[in-house]
Amino acid sequence: MLAVNYVTEMIYQGRAFQLSFLILVGILTYISYYITKRGKEWTIRPIEALDAIDEGVGRAAETGRPILVLPGISGLGSAQTLAGLTVFGEIAQRAVEIGITPYLITSSTDVVTASEAIIRQTLEAVGKPELYQPGRYIKWYGSGQFVYAVGAAGHIMQEKPAFVSAIGYFLADVIVTMETATRVGSLIVGGTTDQSATPLMAMLSDYLLIGEEMYAASAVLTKDNVAAGTLAAEDLIKVILLILMVVGCLAWAVGSRYIYNLMGV
Amino acid sequence: MSTTLAYIRAYIGRIVVVVCCLGILAGYYFTSPTVGGVSDELYTWNMCISSFTLFVGLITIFSRYGRSIINRDTNWPFHLYCLVLIIIWIPFGFHYGIYADLYQTAYLSTKITLHIAILGLLIFFMTSALYRTFRIRSLRTAVLTFLAVVMIFLNAPYLRSYFPTAGDIAYWLLNNPQMSGARAMVLCGGIGGIILGIRILLGHEKGALRVTGGM
Repeated sequence: MLAVNYVTEMIYQGRAFQLSFLILVGILTYISYYITKRGKEWTIRPIEALDAIDEGVGRAAETGRPILVLPGISGLGSAQTLAGLTVFGEIAQRAVEIGITPYLITSSTDVVTASEAIIRQTLEAVGKPELYQPGRYIKWYGSGQFVYAVGAAGHIMQEKPAFVSAIGYFLADVIVTMETATRVGSLIVGGTTDQSATPLMAMLSDYLLIGEEMYAASAVLTKDNVAAGTLAAEDLIKVILLILMVVGCLAWAVGSRYIYNLMGV
Repeated sequence: MSTTLAYIRAYIGRIVVVVCCLGILAGYYFTSPTVGGVSDELYTWNMCISSFTLFVGLITIFSRYGRSIINRDTNWPFHLYCLVLIIIWIPFGFHYGIYADLYQTAYLSTKITLHIAILGLLIFFMTSALYRTFRIRSLRTAVLTFLAVVMIFLNAPYLRSYFPTAGDIAYWLLNNPQMSGARAMVLCGGIGGIILGIRILLGHEKGALRVTGGM
């Protein structure tokens, strides 16, 4: 009992369940990682929007027009931005291998630094380090939401990209950028987990990544079996959550608030 | 760069990411003042690094726009105008301070005006996007268009006076299918984000730290 009290005092009120759940997620992910390392092969269901990335790169190769990646209006602290940068890494590699210029426009200065590193590494990896120039591929037009949108729209009008990938955190700015991309005939793949921007994305993009699909991008694009294994862990966690929800609802229906209180809601 | 050096550089980067990530996470969960202090310190470092990257952004703009002006590229007068504005604003801010009335008035009277202009333009972008989206070409697009019309009724009091049940249908749609779908998306997005973080820590997310494979 003393030990329980000590642990309770150590953790902020209402966060014990969150911490336990995070540890459980880590353990399950490591188990799937371990199973994969021992030779288990995973298959991922086809995700149309991610398959469309190859189509977009192909279209850019046919038309000789560039590719544009928009990782959204958030910084490196956002998981959505990281997902956008992952897609940028993969697209950039495919593009520079066939001589297509990939551009990235961001509103966050820390993303500028990370993206410059990604494009430099990509050019080194494909054996074309001499093509690297700071500021050539990564553009920053300002940190404001609409400053970013207008800068990106201007860039789209000027460069007329064949393919636009808008995966990351977006708000109403997405209307300006993606509608402009539609006007110049770009193929658009959109993805965000923000509730207010998802309907806009659905309206404006040719292919849409809904919810966690955008986080599966690297596993699908690289066909990395270990990354695919972590997606299996993700599905297992969803099943656990579903069971918790059903049990919680039933418990609530019979008058017990145990699950509710346990979660620290 | 030799392979060994690239490998060491990648691992140093990954170790820094892991330590910082765990440090900040610990600050969120644990009440210990020491852990809180470490977390605050890491946040401060983050702020410092972000501030320095602002200079990287400025250098990028100067380098790109400078080249554009010298080569007389398309739209070079706008690039010149932007550089002149930046050059004026920086000493202006340093001299008066960013909270001075003069600075705030000058800043807001330009920024807010431009911001509102863009917000006004959104309606035109929105209209053309809506025209494309709500064209009835199949049963699914017909259902989508019908639901959109119901939502329009909800936001148009004049139409609701003729179709009073439209409001009830719209609220039912918002509170049931929309709410459950949105919550499912938030939950799955959250889990996806955590798994992405773990993949980055394990070195299997090639985008952010794409030098080497997994540990």
